[in-house]
Amino acid sequence: MVQLRPRASRAPVSAEAMVDEGQPASEEEAEHGLLVGQPSSGAAAEPLEEDEEGDEESDEAPEELTFASAQAEAREEERRVRETVRRDKTLLKEKRKRREELFIEQKKRKLLPDTILEKLTTASQTNIKKSPGKVKEVNLQKKNEDCEKGNDSKKVKVQKVQSVSQNKSYLAVRLKDQDLRDARQQAAQAFIHNSLYGPGTNRTTVNKFLSLANKRLPVKRAAVQFLNNAWGIQKKQNAKRFKRRWMVRKMKTKK
Amino acid sequence: MGEFKVHRVRFFNYVPSAIRCVAYNNQSNRLAVSRTDGTVEIYNLSANYFQEKFFPGHESRATEALCWAEGQRLFSAGLNGEIIEYDLQALNIKYAMDAFGGPIWSMAASPSGSQLLVGCEDGSVKLFQITPDKIQFERNFDRQKSRILSLSWRPSGTHIAAGSIDYISVFDVKSGSTVHKMIVDRQYMGVSKRKCIVWGVAFLSDGTVISVDSAGKVQFWDSATGTLVKSHLIANADVQSIAVANQEDSFVVGTAEGTVFHFQLVPVTSNSGEKQWVRTKPFQHHTHDVRTVAHSPTSLISGGTDTHLVIRPLMEKVEVKNYDAALRKITFPHRRLISCSRKRQLLLFQFAHHLELWRLGSTVATGKNGDTLPLSKNADHLLYLKTKGPENIICSCISPCGSWIAYSTASRFFLYRLNYEHDNLSLKRVSKMPAFLRSALQILFSEDSTKLFVASNQGALHIFQLSGGSFKHLHAFQPQSGTVEAMCLLAVSADGNWLAASGTSAGVHVYNVKQLKLHCTVPAYNFPVTAMAVAPNTNNLVIAYSDQQVFEYSIPDKHYTDWSRTVQKHGFHHLWLQRDTPITHISFHPKRPMHILLHDAYMFCIIDKSLPLPNDKTLFYNPFPPTNESDVVQRRTAHAFKISKIYKPLLFMDLLDERTLVAVERPLDDIIAQLPPPIKKKKFGT
Repeated sequence: MVQLRPRASRAPVSAEAMVDEGQPASEEEAEHGLLVGQPSSGAAAEPLEEDEEGDEESDEAPEELTFASAQAEAREEERRVRETVRRDKTLLKEKRKRREELFIEQKKRKLLPDTILEKLTTASQTNIKKSPGKVKEVNLQKKNEDCEKGNDSKKVKVQKVQSVSQNKSYLAVRLKDQDLRDARQQAAQAFIHNSLYGPGTNRTTVNKFLSLANKRLPVKRAAVQFLNNAWGIQKKQNAKRFKRRWMVRKMKTKK
Repeated sequence: MGEFKVHRVRFFNYVPSAIRCVAYNNQSNRLAVSRTDGTVEIYNLSANYFQEKFFPGHESRATEALCWAEGQRLFSAGLNGEIIEYDLQALNIKYAMDAFGGPIWSMAASPSGSQLLVGCEDGSVKLFQITPDKIQFERNFDRQKSRILSLSWRPSGTHIAAGSIDYISVFDVKSGSTVHKMIVDRQYMGVSKRKCIVWGVAFLSDGTVISVDSAGKVQFWDSATGTLVKSHLIANADVQSIAVANQEDSFVVGTAEGTVFHFQLVPVTSNSGEKQWVRTKPFQHHTHDVRTVAHSPTSLISGGTDTHLVIRPLMEKVEVKNYDAALRKITFPHRRLISCSRKRQLLLFQFAHHLELWRLGSTVATGKNGDTLPLSKNADHLLYLKTKGPENIICSCISPCGSWIAYSTASRFFLYRLNYEHDNLSLKRVSKMPAFLRSALQILFSEDSTKLFVASNQGALHIFQLSGGSFKHLHAFQPQSGTVEAMCLLAVSADGNWLAASGTSAGVHVYNVKQLKLHCTVPAYNFPVTAMAVAPNTNNLVIAYSDQQVFEYSIPDKHYTDWSRTVQKHGFHHLWLQRDTPITHISFHPKRPMHILLHDAYMFCIIDKSLPLPNDKTLFYNPFPPTNESDVVQRRTAHAFKISKIYKPLLFMDLLDERTLVAVERPLDDIIAQLPPPIKKKKFGT
C-alpha cells in the first residue's frame, strides 16, 4: 500500500489555506495521482467524484480515497436519500388524508341536518300544513347555504320548499348573480378610490391643508386643530373617577 | 323689540355630500346636480339660483354621469349599472333600466337629443334610442380593453371620442368601429409607473378632440389623423373635468387642486384669422377636487368634493354689469332640515339616514345685552332614530307638543309616538299606514297637534286626525291644475282653520280645514316660494319668494294686505334684494302682531310693520343699538327691517316663547374638517 498523505477534509477549507497548501500539495499529489486513481469495479461513482474534485482545485491532482470509505459514504448517501423520500411520501399522504376529511366535513355541512330533510320529504308527500315560522326558518337556512355554494341542485331544492310553504311573502332569487353584480360594483369603487386617494396620489389631511396659511402669517400661529383628544384617555378617566370619589368623601366629612 | 335669550346651537353635525356631476340645460336655464349619496337636485338659475326640486338619494345609487336629453328629460347612470330617468313633474323616478355592461362610468346624449351613449366597465360602448316613454337598446360599438371613463359626441353626430385608461378611441357612429386609437403619455415629457386615466374628453366640430387626464395635462388631438397636436401641462394633480361652450370658443377644466381654468380661442395676432387655444383665467374657489364643470352661455359652473356649487358669471359675456354678475357659492341647503317643538324645547335634526332629537339646555343666570350665560343644564341628546332601508329621508317633522315624529322616504311613511315619563323617553311606531300614503314631499303638524297634514308626491294633500295613539284619515285634497314648479311647502294657521300649500304654477292654494274645501288661491308669481307662514291672530299668510320679495296676503279677506301693497309700491332696499341665500323660515311673535321674524343663511331679520320703510339711501344694516346716540340719529336710521348678522351661518332660527330664540348655526370650518383629504400644496417657507 502506498503511504498516503493525510488528505484535506471534505469540509470547505478557507481560501487562504487552499492557496498556501495548493502549490506544494499539488506537486506531490501529481506524483501519486497515477497510482491511486484506479477505480474498483464496485463503486462506479468514485472516479467521477475524484475528477470533480480535481476540477475544483484546478492545479491539483485528484484526491486519493480508499475504496471502503468511499463505498461507506455512498451507502450512507443512498440511505439518507431513501429516508427523505419516505418521509416526504408519508407527509404527502397525511396531507391528502386531512384534505379528504375536510372535504367530507364540508360536504356534510352543505347538506341539511337529517331531521329537516326528513321533515321536508314527509311534508311534500303528505302535504301537511306546517307553521309558517318553521318553514321560513328552513328557507332562511337554505338561502344561507345557497349563498355559500349556489349550484343548480340547491336551486331546485329552494323551488321545492317554496311549493311546500304556505306563506308567500318572500321571493327566492339566485344569490350567485347578485354576488357578481356587487363584486363588480365593489371593484369599480375600489378603482375610483385607488386612483383618487390610493398610493401615488399626493394627498394630505384637511388639518394640514388649512394650517398652511397659519404657517405663512407674519405672526406664526398654531395649526387649526392641534389638540389630540385621544391622548391619555385612561388617565383622564381615572382622574375623573378620583375626583368624584374625593368630592363624595369631602361631602361626608363636612357633614 | 325687547331683549331675547338666544340658544346658540352648534351640535347639528350637518355635512352635505360631495357634488359628483352637473348638467346644464340651455333651454330652461336649469342645472341638474347629482351628489355622491345619490341625490339629484335641480336648480333654477334664472330664479335667483334657487333649488326648486330634488330627488332623494339611495345607498346603492352612486351616480357617475348625468345628462339632459331632448324634451327636458333627465337621465343618470351609476355604478350599479342602471340608467335612470327622472320624472320632473311627479318628482319620482320613472324607471331604471339595466345596461348589462357592469358599472356605468360615463353617459352622453347625442347633439340631436334622441340617442344616448353609455360607457361601461367592461369596455363596451352602448347606444340607446330614446323613445317617447322609455329608452331602447340599439347596438354595441367595438369593445375596448379597459373601462370607458368619458364620452363625447361630435356636434355633427358622426363620430364619438371615448377616453379610457392610457388611450382614447375615436369611433364612427354608423359602423360602430374604431377609427383611431390614440395613446396618451403617462406623464408630460417623461415616464411614469402610474397609469394615465383620461377623465374627460370633448369633441369639437372641426375634428379636434380635447382630453384631460390624471397626469395634469390638457391635450389637443386631431381626430382625422389620430395624432397629438398640442399638450398643456396645467396642474401637478389630476385634471378631472372638462366642459365646452356651445359656440366652441371657450372651455373650462377643473383640477383636483380646486382650481378651475378657462381656455379661450383667441386670434394669434390682432388682425390675423388664425386662432389658437390659450389658457386665460384661473379661478380658485374650491379647496378640494373639482369633479365636474359645466359651461353655460354666460357663466362657468363647478362643483366638487368640498360640496360647494360655484357659479361664476363671465364678465365679458354678461350684458349688464350689476349684482347678477357676482360670484354665487351655494353651500347651505335651500330647505329647512330642522323642526322645533316649542313647548318642550326640542329640536329634530334631519340627516340623510337618521334623525336626531335634542332637548335644549337651560340656564338660570341673567345678564345684560351681549353676555354669554353659562348653562346650568347641558343640551341632551334624546333620540337617534335610524331609518330602515337604503333610501334617504325626504322630509321630517315633530309636532309642537313633542309627542309625534313623522318622516318619509321615497317609498314609505313613518309615524312615531313619543312618551315622556319623568326623565325617560319611549318610542312607539304606528304600524298600520294606509296604502295610498307612500312618500311625502312635506309633512306638517297642526298647532294643537291633533291633525297631520301630508303633501304626497302624487300631488294630493292628505289630512289625518291624531288622537291618543292612533290616527285616521280625514280627507284628501286632490291635486289642482297646473304643473309642478317646485317642492311643495305647507303652512297652517295657529287656530287650525287654514292650510296653505305651494308648489304649483297656479299659485299658493289656501284650504279651509274645517269645511274641507278650497278657500282661495294667491295669484301666481313667476318665482318659486321659499318659505311660508300664517300669522297667529290676523291670519295673514306671509310668503317669501326666491327673488327676495315678501308678500302678505290676508286669508279671511282674500286679498293682499295694505302693508304688502305699500311695500310693493315702495320697493325693497337694494341690499335686501342682493342677498344670496333664500329665506327658509318665517315665524311670529305671539304678543306682537306687527313683527315678522325671518332668516336666511347669513342674517336674521325682524320686520316691524309699524315703522317706516327704508329707501335706497338709508343705512340698511343698523349698527348695534347704541343707547348714547342722539334721538335724531336714531329716528333717521329707524326703519322696519331690523337685521342682525351676529349668528351666521344660520340653518334655523325660531322663537320659542316670548323671550327666547333658538339659532342653529353651522360654521363652515366644521364642515370642512370632515371632508376627505385634499391634494397637498407645497408653499415656499413651510
